[in-house]
Parts: sequence; structure tokens; C-alpha cells
Amino acid sequence: MQFEAISIEGLSHRFLSKNRSPTVALNDVSAQFPAGKVTSIVGPSGCGKSTLLLIMRGLVEATDGKVRFLYGNGSGKLTAGAAPRMATVWQSFNLLPWRTVIDNVAFGLELQGVPVAERRERAISAIKAVDLAGFEQHYPGQLSGGMKQRVGLARGIVMSPDILFLDEPFGALDAQTRLYLQEQLAELVERSAKTVILITHSIEEAIFLGDRVVVMTARPGKIAATLDIDLPRPRSFEVQKEKAFGDLFSEIYGLLRDEVRKSMLS
Amino acid sequence: MTQVEQSARAEAETSKSMQKAEVRLRDDTWWYGPVAMALFLVFWEVGVRVGNVPEVFLPRPSLVVVTLYELFAYKQLAYDLVVTLYRIFGGFVLAAIIGIGLGLLMGMSRRIYAICDIFIAAIYPVPKIALLPLLVIWLGTGNAFQIALSALGCIFPILINTIIGVRQCDEGLILAARDLGATQLQIQRKVVLPAAVPAIFGGLRLALGISIILVVAAEMQTARYGLGAKLQLAGQVLETGQVFAILLLLAVMGIALTKAQDRIGNIVDRWRAR
Repeated sequence: MQFEAISIEGLSHRFLSKNRSPTVALNDVSAQFPAGKVTSIVGPSGCGKSTLLLIMRGLVEATDGKVRFLYGNGSGKLTAGAAPRMATVWQSFNLLPWRTVIDNVAFGLELQGVPVAERRERAISAIKAVDLAGFEQHYPGQLSGGMKQRVGLARGIVMSPDILFLDEPFGALDAQTRLYLQEQLAELVERSAKTVILITHSIEEAIFLGDRVVVMTARPGKIAATLDIDLPRPRSFEVQKEKAFGDLFSEIYGLLRDEVRKSMLS
Repeated sequence: MTQVEQSARAEAETSKSMQKAEVRLRDDTWWYGPVAMALFLVFWEVGVRVGNVPEVFLPRPSLVVVTLYELFAYKQLAYDLVVTLYRIFGGFVLAAIIGIGLGLLMGMSRRIYAICDIFIAAIYPVPKIALLPLLVIWLGTGNAFQIALSALGCIFPILINTIIGVRQCDEGLILAARDLGATQLQIQRKVVLPAAVPAIFGGLRLALGISIILVVAAEMQTARYGLGAKLQLAGQVLETGQVFAILLLLAVMGIALTKAQDRIGNIVDRWRAR
């Protein structure tokens, strides 16, 4: 039974910036994010998609509107409840540079007061899951961008979150590293069956990783369309050569082309 | 030649070239400074002898070293050294405790910053040595006065650097910590404070130099014991050799303290990519 993990209703966000008129980042945004699936949010830069993530994650308070988290108990019956466990992977990694890889990965567990032995064990297994075994004692400054982001991913999954947020996770990486990590991530989410919210400006990435793609307009951010991606899983990068993939790409790019132009002019 | 021998030889070659690379990685200019200093001293020694410069103007380096030894052996210079170090570090540590503590509060709270800022703006530009008469009236000329003067001079670089360090903390790191469920207190202890450590350490570095300057200067004005006092005394009776000996001791102390700070700094900064 399909049910929604997050439902956002009438979300608006305005903020004041110095020496400028108030900016409307989001305008009456409503959307549903299915549980156990990957939902990609794609849109032109500055469309407020990262703000949307911060609001859903509870790190920024929206000016208007509601974010509701729903639980399913397996019977398909929905209950609204307190926020589930969540973790975020950031574009700029945001690793603590003075901590080793293992201490970075264990950071969230440490904050929660998990005993040393247990957090060590869980951190090591998360590091293994992202293929970084042997780098436990390295500092972030000694790692490449792709490795840093794998640490970021391990730091998220070690919390065993119900919902994993990915904010342009591969935006700061070179093309080959990105492709490789996208494949690794696809495999990881297929195995874990977690609810994943992926923010991206790459249409290919949105389709390749997503079960659903939410297309956003230029500022003020609104939702232009929601598409279900029915490409079979598991997916490898080969899926990008299929006609269905190309059709979806054309459809989304068609929706975005005018928005991108608008965002360049404004 | 057997194959085993061949591979052993190849291995030896590799390890030899590795060693060479390692040597290159090591700092190969470390001896430039000491050699330049040695040359300078030789010129000084020879110049004074050849030019027949009177000892009261410029004693030979060898004589300075002998004088320094005599001061330690017969004039209890060790006691003065200990007194001076006690004052330098007394003021420095006091300033570090207050400066880091207040700096963290000021960096983290806009209200506390607003209250304290005007006091700092008022006291900071005053030359600390100008406070000497007032401090002597309040505290006499003993250790309390010396330590207070040194602390007043040390506190500002430490305080200001701490505030800057706290403010410069990457917003993304704080966001990531909040995302992982950190409380406000945890953010400050585990993110903001460690992020400020390099800046705080920079402030401590500046402060120690200031402490040395202030303590020696104040000792020259008011004290009976301490390197500054002995320096002043030697100058008044035209014991140029003793003046140089104490200056030499101060220079050696400066080098030792700077190098020690470098060592500690390397440990603190060990996470920086090399």
C-alpha cells in the first residue's frame, strides 16, 4: 500500500534581505512525498528548493503553511505524528574538519548520548556501507570531494533515519565522480527502501534516482508539475539510454526551459 | 644473477629513491638561520678585536657569554629569571582565562557583545604602560602589579581573536549539527568552540609576546628583582657586558617560547591537510 511520508500544505516563505525588497522564496507550495520512495525536487537555481528542504527538515520556520509527517503501521492506516527520524546530506559536505572520518560519522550518535562502543561499531559499519573502510582515521582535508560526500552520506545513514534528505549532494563534484556516486546511491536506496527527498538541479539525476519528480518554477517557487517515474529498478546508468528516459527528460526540460529563462532575466 | 637477487636489488633501488624523496620533503633550509647567526657572531667578535672597540660600548660575544655565566653563578640571575617568567605567565594565563571566556560569550551573544563592546573600545587603545602609575597606586610594585599589567596587555588580542573565531564559524557546520539533533549548548561546545581554536591560538601567540614586553618594561621602571630590573641596574653602572648578557638571555627566552608555541600550534592544527 502506497502512503505519503510527508505532506506539505500551502507552504509560503518570505524573508527580508538587507537593502532589498522582501523576497518571496516559496509561494503556496503543496506536495506529497511517498514513503519508502525517492522523490526528486528539480528546479532552476534560486527557485527556493533548498529553502523547501530546510523547512521540511525543521531547520527554517516557514512564514505560512504546514508540514505534516505521516506514519504507516503496515496496515495502510495513516496516523499523523511527531516528526520521524531524519538526516540530511549537504552539497558542501559540512564535515567538521577537526574530526576524523569515524568521529564525523559518529557525531550524530555522540550528540544523542549513544555509548562510545556502540557508536564506534555503528560508525564503522556505515563507513563500510559507503566503501570507505580504511579511512576511519583520516581527516576530511585529506580526502577528495567524492570521498567527503561519502562520509556525509555515512553520517546520515548511521542515524538510521526514516527520511533521508539530500541537498544537491553531488553538486560540488566532478562529472565522473557524480555518475559513480549516483549509481552507488541508487543501489543504497533500493536496498534500504527509505524515504528519500533529493534536491537537485540536474534533470538526469532527478529521473535516474527518483520514483517521483517534483518540478518547481523560478522564484517565487511554485510547483509546476509532479511526474511519476516508472523506470524499472534496479537501475544502472544504462537506463539513461532508454527512450522512456529521454521522453521524461524532454517533458521536464520543456517545463523548465521558460523558467530558466525567467530566472536569468530577473 | 637469480631472479630473487634481481627483485631484491630492484626493491633496494626503490627504497633508496623513496628515501631521497623523503629527504626532499623534509625542510632542507633549517640550517640557514643558525649559520647566518654564527657568521654574524664571528664578524662581531673579529670586528671588535680588530677595530679595538672599547668594551663599555660593545663587548665581544664571547665575553657576553662568559658574563652571562657569571651572573648565573655568582649573582643569582636564575632567581630573576624565575621571577620574570612567573610574572609573564601569570599575566598571560589570567588574560587567557578571562579573554577566552568573555570572548566566547561575546561571540555567541549579541546582547553581551553590545554591553562589553564600549568598554573594550575605551580600554583597548590606551597604551598599557600608561596605566603604570595607576596600577602602582593600587597594587604597589610587587608581583600583583606586574601580573595585572601583563594581563591587561594580553587580554585584548586574545579576546578579539576569540570573538572573530566564534563569528567566523561556518554556518553550514552549525546547520549540519542542528540537523543531527544538537542542542544549543552542544553546538557551542562541539562546533563553535573547536572552530574558533585556530583563531584563539593566534591571539594567544600575540599575547605572549606582549606579556614579555610589558613585564620587562615595567620591571625596568619599578622592580628590584627580575630581568628588567637587573638590566636597568647594569645600564646605570655602565656594565655593558651585563646588559648584553641579559639581552641575550631575553632573546634565548623569546626563541624558546616561540618554538614551544609552534610545537603546540602544530598539535592543535594537526587536522589541517598537509
